[in-house]
Amino acid sequence: MPEPHERLDRQAAWQRSRRELPWPEKIRLALKLREAALRLRSAKTVPPSPPAGPSGGGSQP
Amino acid sequence: MARLLNEMKGAGVVSDYALFGATAQMRYTEPVATLDVDVLVVVPRPDRLDVLASLYEFCRRAGFLPEGEAVRVGAWPLQLVPTWDPLTREAVAQADTVDYEGVALRVVGAAHLALIALSVGRAKDCARILALLESGSVTTSEIAALAARHGLEERWQSFAARFLDA
Repeated sequence: MPEPHERLDRQAAWQRSRRELPWPEKIRLALKLREAALRLRSAKTVPPSPPAGPSGGGSQP
Repeated sequence: MARLLNEMKGAGVVSDYALFGATAQMRYTEPVATLDVDVLVVVPRPDRLDVLASLYEFCRRAGFLPEGEAVRVGAWPLQLVPTWDPLTREAVAQADTVDYEGVALRVVGAAHLALIALSVGRAKDCARILALLESGSVTTSEIAALAARHGLEERWQSFAARFLDA
C-alpha cells in the first residue's frame, strides 16, 4: 500500500492537471464546488446519539 | 453574464469592465471554490454618491435582480466593484479580451490579478498569488516590476520573504 504522502502527492498532481481544462469548463466545475459548499454550509449538525444502554442498541451476543 | 456585461458597456452604463478574483484566476490555475463572480467596473461618474445605482437599475431592467450586495445572474451572484485606485484602473485598461464560448469577455491578466491580490492581502489573496506563480502565468520579476510601479515594493518583499524565500 503506498505511503499516505505519495497518495497526497498524486492527488495534488491530478488537481494541478485540472489547470489544462478550458476556462469555461473550470467555471462549470467551480459552480459545482459552489453548490456543494453552499449545501455543506446549510447542513445542520446532527447531535450525537446517546450511548446505548444495557437494554438498547448494540449487537446482542 | 458576459452578454450582460457587454450590454452594460455598450449602453455606456460602464466605460469598461473586467472579471477579477477567483473566476479570473481560474484561467490560469485549477478550479477553485468561490461563491461569486467579481467584476471590476469603470463607471462614467465615479463622483456620484451611489455609483452602482445605475448599474443595478440596468440589470433590473434586463431581468437580473439585486441579491444583497450582488446581482443574481443565473446561478452566480455578480459582484460589481468600481475601480478604486490606479492599479485597478490599469488592470481594467490592460485586461485581456477572451472568447468565452463565443462571447467576448474582458478579464484581468495574471500579473494584475496577482498585484491586486497583493494589495488586498487577505489569506486567500496570498494563496491566489502562489497559485498564479505555480501555474507559470506570471513570474516573480513581473510582479516585482508591477509592484514597484504601484508603490507596493515593501509589501511584495514582505510576501516574498514569507512565502518564497525558503
